[in-house]
Amino acid sequence: MHDDRIRELIGSSSRGPSGAGVDDAIVVDDLAKRYPNGTEAVRGVSFRVLTGEVFGLLGPNGAGKSTTMGMLGTLVRPTGGRATVAGHDVVEAPRQVRRSLGFAMQEVGVDDLATGTELLILHGRLHGLSRREAARRAGLLLELVGIGDAARRRMGDYSGGMKRRVDLASALIHLPPVLFLDEPTEGLDPHGRAAIWAALDRLKAELGMTILMTTHFMEEADRLCDRIAIVDHGRIVVEGTPEELKGQIGAADVVTLEDVYLNSTGRELEVAA
Amino acid sequence: MSSATWLLTRRTLIQLPRNPMVLGFSVAPVLMMFVVFGALFESVKHLPGFPTDNYFEYLAPAAVLMTTVPGIANAAVGLATDIQSRYLYKLLTMPVSIGSIMAGRLLADGTRLFIQGGAVLLLAIALGAQIASGVAGALLMLLIGALFGIVTFGVLTANLALKTKDPQAVQAIFPMAFLLIFLTTAYQTEEQVPSSALRAVISINPTEYVLQAMRDLTLTGFDWGSIGVAFAVIVGLGLVGLPLTIRNYRSVYR
Repeated sequence: MHDDRIRELIGSSSRGPSGAGVDDAIVVDDLAKRYPNGTEAVRGVSFRVLTGEVFGLLGPNGAGKSTTMGMLGTLVRPTGGRATVAGHDVVEAPRQVRRSLGFAMQEVGVDDLATGTELLILHGRLHGLSRREAARRAGLLLELVGIGDAARRRMGDYSGGMKRRVDLASALIHLPPVLFLDEPTEGLDPHGRAAIWAALDRLKAELGMTILMTTHFMEEADRLCDRIAIVDHGRIVVEGTPEELKGQIGAADVVTLEDVYLNSTGRELEVAA
Repeated sequence: MSSATWLLTRRTLIQLPRNPMVLGFSVAPVLMMFVVFGALFESVKHLPGFPTDNYFEYLAPAAVLMTTVPGIANAAVGLATDIQSRYLYKLLTMPVSIGSIMAGRLLADGTRLFIQGGAVLLLAIALGAQIASGVAGALLMLLIGALFGIVTFGVLTANLALKTKDPQAVQAIFPMAFLLIFLTTAYQTEEQVPSSALRAVISINPTEYVLQAMRDLTLTGFDWGSIGVAFAVIVGLGLVGLPLTIRNYRSVYR
């Protein structure tokens, strides 16, 4: 991504994306989800994410990461506890939460019959931007994520990696104070993963955006996140900065997040390819 | 109309020509059936008591219903596709209400049905039929046909889409729409229906009452009694089906 493009993008906004107006961009208090069939996907999760922080939920498939993110993104109804995003309660004020939020989903939700440009303009307009401003930002963002040449092609022809990058761009169209990334590099090849990591590095550095991400890749969490919570069986088993977590083990010469995870849960995790 | 509803209506309208197979195949068979059935059963117009000497005039309202009733199911196919591709969930992460998403799709597909139903009426006119109630009556006929399609097959297929999340499952139910129309006086008058059991079935089929209003608009003009009955049927079915659909729509929030 190019710094000047990001600055141009910020310049068009009346408020900075980090302007959530609260110190804690995300507050989660004893949040729980029990499905009607009795499955307890999330069992009383609590954490706080400071404004401008990148916070990672780390854990294996089925640990409850995506359900937690779904509840914070107003797609899944909590059955217990409460949570706020950018100061808005996810149950009582879902529309305000959605206005404050960009959500790039694990299973990419794009419209195959639309072009990349059309998709971003529509999403910008649904967030209240004028057509002109939505079109301007769409052009910038699609260039930023490397879709510039294919922007006018229908997304049915895009590769999985391209769809994921368009999804990320669409999550940014309204310059939200809070960005959710659910397994942002799942299924991508090393090149695609590196491109997304570079994009997130720039977003963090230039926009100061609060980012909540889920991943089961250790390397990704270690590289991108300021703080991490390791989730297993619907609960947070350990939380801290990557260095703090590694320091809790401490005895070995080289401690990795995977060591932390194994120590916390006794379960193996996938390693980034 | 809210701005979000208009944006989502526009999205679907822009994309209609991008799927020409859906657009073509949802109306071409009806046009062919109209011509073929019109030729096959034309002789019934000579039977005593038949209300017109142009069989296409008699058949035209049924052909409109054959366009609008199964045709609305394409809206449900689009819904199932949006669920399957996860795009619906993407929309739900934005400040857009479920009502706007539903209304956007219905308005776009309603517009398509108007155009396709209009094509059927134009073909009928080209084959010598006359619409007694004129252009206003033809538009009212298309409105009745589109609304009836929405509250019957539209509701059925939308709920199927929401439950199965599978476009193919929605497409599989298309033939049922024709059964709904065949069990009426679409092709011959009630007196010409040979079986009393079949006449009894026709008398309890709500489609028959809607068809009668549309046929009156074609053959005799504005009969507000039959038009009132048609709208009562539409409102009654809508009061049952639409709340159920909205409830199931909300179930996409898990």
